[in-house]
Amino acid sequence: MNLDCCWSREVIEQADCPNIQGGEEDLLASKQQRNLEKCADCSLFHRSLQQLYTESNPLAPIFSGFLDEFRRQKSQIQSLVSFLDNKTLEIRFLHELGYVLQSSVDLDEVLSVALTAITAGKGFGMNRAFLLLCDRDEGLLKGYLALGPRNMEEAGHVWNEIVRNDMDLQAMAQNFRLNKLSSERAKFHDILEKLTISLDDKEHILIKTLEGKRPVKVEQAFQHPNVPSELATLLGVDTFLLMPLISRSRWVGMIIADNFITHRAITDEDMHSLETFGFPVAFAVERAALYDKLQVELSRVTEAGKKLKEQQELIVRMENMALVGRITSSIAHSVRNPLMVIGGFARSMLKNSPESDPKRTFIESIVAETRQLEGVLDEILNYSDSLYPTRDFWDVNQLVKTVLRDTGEALSLLGYVTDFEPGDDIKSVYIDFKQLSYCIRSVLQNDIAISGDDRSISISARNGDGCVLLAIEDRSRHITQAQLDHFLVPFSETRDLGTGLALALCKTMLEKQEVPFTATADEQAGICYTILLPTRKEEQS
Amino acid sequence: MSRLLVVDDEANIRLLYAEELKDEGYEVVTAATSAEAVEKLQGAVFDLAVLDIKLKNESGIELLQKLVKERHEMPVILCSAFSCYKDDFSAWLADGYVVKSSDLSDLKQEIARILAKKAAKVSK
Repeated sequence: MNLDCCWSREVIEQADCPNIQGGEEDLLASKQQRNLEKCADCSLFHRSLQQLYTESNPLAPIFSGFLDEFRRQKSQIQSLVSFLDNKTLEIRFLHELGYVLQSSVDLDEVLSVALTAITAGKGFGMNRAFLLLCDRDEGLLKGYLALGPRNMEEAGHVWNEIVRNDMDLQAMAQNFRLNKLSSERAKFHDILEKLTISLDDKEHILIKTLEGKRPVKVEQAFQHPNVPSELATLLGVDTFLLMPLISRSRWVGMIIADNFITHRAITDEDMHSLETFGFPVAFAVERAALYDKLQVELSRVTEAGKKLKEQQELIVRMENMALVGRITSSIAHSVRNPLMVIGGFARSMLKNSPESDPKRTFIESIVAETRQLEGVLDEILNYSDSLYPTRDFWDVNQLVKTVLRDTGEALSLLGYVTDFEPGDDIKSVYIDFKQLSYCIRSVLQNDIAISGDDRSISISARNGDGCVLLAIEDRSRHITQAQLDHFLVPFSETRDLGTGLALALCKTMLEKQEVPFTATADEQAGICYTILLPTRKEEQS
Repeated sequence: MSRLLVVDDEANIRLLYAEELKDEGYEVVTAATSAEAVEKLQGAVFDLAVLDIKLKNESGIELLQKLVKERHEMPVILCSAFSCYKDDFSAWLADGYVVKSSDLSDLKQEIARILAKKAAKVSK
C-alpha cells in the first residue's frame, strides 16, 4: 500500500489536493483538519482505502464502516447548520418585523409592514398578499389592501427594483406606504371590492378559517368543495394561503397570500413561519385600529369639552342676562307705571280743561316732564338690553324692509322719501336681529336736527368679502364730522325727549357684536352710515 | 259700542285706561287678576281684551294663552312696561303689542286697527 498519498502527508501543496479551493489554504498545513473536511469525500482517499480491500486487510471493512458513518453524520450536521442558519434569519426577520410593528400605531403603516413582510424576498417571499379587515359594525370581512404584481412584466420590474435598492424591511414598508399604498389599493380595487364576506356566513372558507384560528393552505381551489368558485376565479390561482389575524380571541382580519407569478409551492415550513408572524401582525393591526378609534374619541371628547366650555360661558352670560333682565324689568315696572299714571292723568286733565284755565300751564309741564322721563327710561332700558346681544343668521333685506315698514308712517309725516336697494343673492348675516333693527331705526330717526331741503334716505345692501355691506345715506342732516362724533358718545347729549343716546347706543350695540360701524358727515351732502355685517360666525370672537 | 276687557294689577292704570277708553266710545270692564278676568269673561261677550303682561304674582302670557285657547275669536292686545317682550315668541300669540306710555295714542290706534280688522273679517 502506498502511504505517500496526499492524505498521509503533514504538509501538501495546492496542486496536490483537487478538493481544496481558494480561501482554504490553511488546510494545506493542517493534516487532521484536511482529512476531516476533504479526504472523506476524495476519490484519492477512497482509492487508498480500496487498496486495503485488495490486500485483504481486515481493517478495510471497519474503516469503510467508520467512513460511511462519518459521512452520514457530517451530512446531518451540515443539514442542521443550514436549518439553524435559516431559523436565525427567520428570527432576525421576525425581530425586525416585531420592532417595526411595535413602534407604529398608524394603521396604514402597520398594514404596509405586514404586506411587505409577506411579499418581500427577505421575508416570506410570497408573490401577492391581500389583507381583509373585520368591520364589526357592519358585520363584514372586507378587502382593505393588497400588494404584489398583477403580471409577469410588472413582477420583473418590481423585483429588479427591490434587488437594486437593497432596502431593509422598515425602509421597504415606508417606501410602500409613502409611494405605493394608494396606487396598490387602486390597482387591486376590483378584487378588494369583491372580497366582502358576511361574518355570519359560517360556511364560507374565510370565516371557517377565522373560527379555526389556524392558517389554511388551499390547494386545487377550483375543484375544492369548500372554496366558492367566485373566490378562486377572483384570485386566479389554484393554491393560496389563508392566514387568520386573531388578537386575544378577537377576529381582526385575514391575509390571503399566493404565488400568482412564480407558482412556487407553499410548503409546511411557509405555513409555520406565517403562523408565527400572524400573531404580532394581528396584535399590531388591532392596536393601530384601537388607536385610530381612540384618536376619534379623543377628538370627540375635545370637541365636547370645547362645547361644554362654550355652554358654561353661555350659562354665565345667561345668568348675567337674567340678572340684568330682572333688574331692568323691576326698573321698568317701578318707574314706568307711576310715570304712565301721572302723565296719563295729566293728559286727561289737559284734554278736559278749557284753554283759559290758569292751571293748564302746570299740567302741560307735568305732561312734558313725564314724556322726557319716559324717553330717558326707554333709552336706559335699551342700553342695558344692548349689553348681551343674541346673535343668529338673518336676512338683512328682510330686516331693512321690516324697519322701513315700521318707520314708514312717521318718516313720511316728516316729509321723508326712503329708497331701499336690496342686494341680489345676499348672504345671511350673523347678528342680533332686534338690536340691528333698533340701530337702523335710530339711524333713520335720530336726534340730529334736520337742516336740508332734500329729505331723502337711500339704503343699499350688497355682498362683501365675508360680510354684507349695508350703507345708509341721509341727505337731510348737515353737520360737521366733529358734531357727529359728539352724537356717537353715550350720554354726551341731553335732548328734550330722552338722553340723545340713540346713535351712541347704536355704536355701542354694534361694537358689542363686533360689527364695524362708521358714520361720516359732510356739511353739504349729509351723513353716510356704513355697517359691515358678518356672514360667518368666526368673523366674531 | 265695542266692549273691552282691561286686565291690569295697578288700580290707577285700570282707572286711566277706563277713563280714556270710555272717552273713545268703548264700554270698558276692568279686572285686577287672571281669576277676576276669567270670571268676568264667563257668559259675557267682549270685542277685545287689553292685557298687562306682568300681573302681580302671575304672568299675563299665561292668561293670554288661556284666552287664545278658549276665546280665540276675541283679539288681545298685550301691554308691557318695556319692549323686549315683543320678541318673546310666546307674546306672538297676541294680536297687538303696545309699550306702556302716558300717551295712550298708540294703544288707542292699535285697538281701532284690530277692531276694524275684526269687523272686516266678520263682514266677509
